[in-house]
Amino acid sequence: MSISLYTAEQEERLFIWREARAWARSGLITDEQMGGINARTDPGLNRTNVFFRILFFLFTGSCVQAMIGFCAFVIQIRGEIAIAWSALAFGAAMVGLAEYLVRRKSLYRYGIEEALALSGMALACTGIVIFIFQLHMELRPLITTAAMLAAACFFWLYLRFGFLYAAVISVACACVVPFQLSLPPAGERTIVAMVLAIIFLTSIRAEGSETRDFRKERSALLQACLLAGIYLAVNLRLPELGRAHFGNPAPFDQPHAGFPPLFYWTTYGLTFLVPALGLYLGLKRRKRIVINISLIAALLTLATNKDYLGFEHYAWDPAVLGVVMVVAAIIIMRWLANGSQGVSNGFTAQNLLKSEDHGINPADLGAALLPGAIQANLPPSSPEKPFAGGQSGGGGASSGY
Amino acid sequence: MHLKKRYSVHQELRAAIYIGVLLITAGLGLTIRQYFAQLGDIAIVGSLTAGALAAFLYCFVKGKPWSDGEFESPNILFDYVLLFGCKLYAADIGYIETQFSLLGDSWHDYLLVSAALFFFLAYRFDNRLVLSMALSTLAAWFGFQLSARFVSFHHYYRESAIAYSLVTFAMGCLSHRFAVKKHFFDIYLNFTVHFLLVALLSGVFEYLFASWHLPAMAAAIAAVAVYSMRTRRFLYMLYAILYGYACLSAVVLEFTHGAAAMYIYGIVSSLAVIGLIFVLSRRFKEGA
Repeated sequence: MSISLYTAEQEERLFIWREARAWARSGLITDEQMGGINARTDPGLNRTNVFFRILFFLFTGSCVQAMIGFCAFVIQIRGEIAIAWSALAFGAAMVGLAEYLVRRKSLYRYGIEEALALSGMALACTGIVIFIFQLHMELRPLITTAAMLAAACFFWLYLRFGFLYAAVISVACACVVPFQLSLPPAGERTIVAMVLAIIFLTSIRAEGSETRDFRKERSALLQACLLAGIYLAVNLRLPELGRAHFGNPAPFDQPHAGFPPLFYWTTYGLTFLVPALGLYLGLKRRKRIVINISLIAALLTLATNKDYLGFEHYAWDPAVLGVVMVVAAIIIMRWLANGSQGVSNGFTAQNLLKSEDHGINPADLGAALLPGAIQANLPPSSPEKPFAGGQSGGGGASSGY
Repeated sequence: MHLKKRYSVHQELRAAIYIGVLLITAGLGLTIRQYFAQLGDIAIVGSLTAGALAAFLYCFVKGKPWSDGEFESPNILFDYVLLFGCKLYAADIGYIETQFSLLGDSWHDYLLVSAALFFFLAYRFDNRLVLSMALSTLAAWFGFQLSARFVSFHHYYRESAIAYSLVTFAMGCLSHRFAVKKHFFDIYLNFTVHFLLVALLSGVFEYLFASWHLPAMAAAIAAVAVYSMRTRRFLYMLYAILYGYACLSAVVLEFTHGAAAMYIYGIVSSLAVIGLIFVLSRRFKEGA
């Protein structure tokens, strides 16, 4: 039995429409063919583009906040019980309104119903937690209860509305629970990693050849998030990554990062194993997001390798890592190019599907910030130099007049 | 059937090379910063110059002939070799200037020369990344930097930002008008819109009705919104609405006193914006 507000048929049609749009953008199908697909895949839902969705989300959220503030101001809500009841009532009303908009107005990822459902659920959870607080519970059991409640509520939101970020919030809340059980740090991380791994494996096992494509796409996103969670739980050296590469280069004083040696070296092995398994799975099942998360995890493993082994960092370490990445990419490109028509084992380096062009992309923005970053890394002008004192940047974005 | 289709790893390879190039440059920068005394000026300047020249030489040898329109790079690596060369050049020239201060008070002319070189390379090899670098280097020549002083947006920066936005807009229009790399127009326009609207918004915050900033802001937002509707580029509508709302809030909240009035403004304005976007959304759908 599905508790989703959208039917599987509607989701499937939307999936086909999205795929077809990418094909049309890349010139793989004609406008007439796209028109035909449009006519046959109309899901009967009201959708909007990503920018309007962002605006709807922001301004609905802003409106909700102002309404709550206004009501609290006018009614003069005082006392914890009154606040709890109000939060619960507002939350329920907002989730109800979101449901109404989906059922009656057929909104689908429109921003309005998302803002209402998310803020409504957060308010309802807050109301319940304030009620529980009245039972004079200690802090840790209170946080545990709140985290479990939030995990359950947001998971329900995911099932009902299909918001993937609600599932991610749910998993993140669930991950808080082990940290409140007064366990040793190794135990906390073990439980988090194991729970996430069990959900991950269950999700993989649940997929069959007859699973619909839109479900596969959705589960791939969830699996990628779970994989990222597992990796974050097992890599003990991740919190000090920035300090190691761009701050103090000396090895960390605390042996084994304060964890038992067996646990420490097990996680060291896992930092290699998790990305490798993710990559294998992603490539085998053609799940792009899982492949990308695994590659990021592999990069982080290389970046934290020296910290794990207790070696000293050098200034040129990022450059060595960069060279490794570029060389690896070149080797893969060569291997793919050697295949028949540039295809090896079904993989190709050719650009088959064009991504949507919004005029500017994150890479362009990153390039725009580069001159400033280069300038920040230049050595200070040395006082013994005859013309010291000048400051600028080649392509630099520094120094005032 | 689904699993047997061709699977492109093009974007992944591009991302790996891009991040790799960023890491190489970061590593080089850190190495120079930490060891410049031991390495010596000649070794640093020599290696950076040689690296930049080698990268540019590769691009001129491997690059496709000039074309007014958009063209594909000869290979995935090509765009990033050019970007790498530009970054080495920027580090090189920055190092020379920081250590020797050859131009003295005219140091900022380096920025103009660098920007000109980046513009040339961006157009010659049809590279959007280098064009972004060129535009930010030009912004540096206009006096902008990534610092708290820029964020505080003094009077001087406001006028400078408006001048910069007009220059970039003119350059983008010329490029578009003469059909030379027309697809670069959006990059120019993004720089123009942000510099202009941030500058005008800071003027509205400071003077409210007592200056030309408010009507200029209204006109600029209207122009951005009209452009968005005509070209169906919704990103610009996002800019127009967010900047417009910030401007309206700055003016209204100045004359609004008391919590209740502020809440009412929040409710009414948010609902009005939602209504506006809804109407626009329907209109775009009808026009599709």
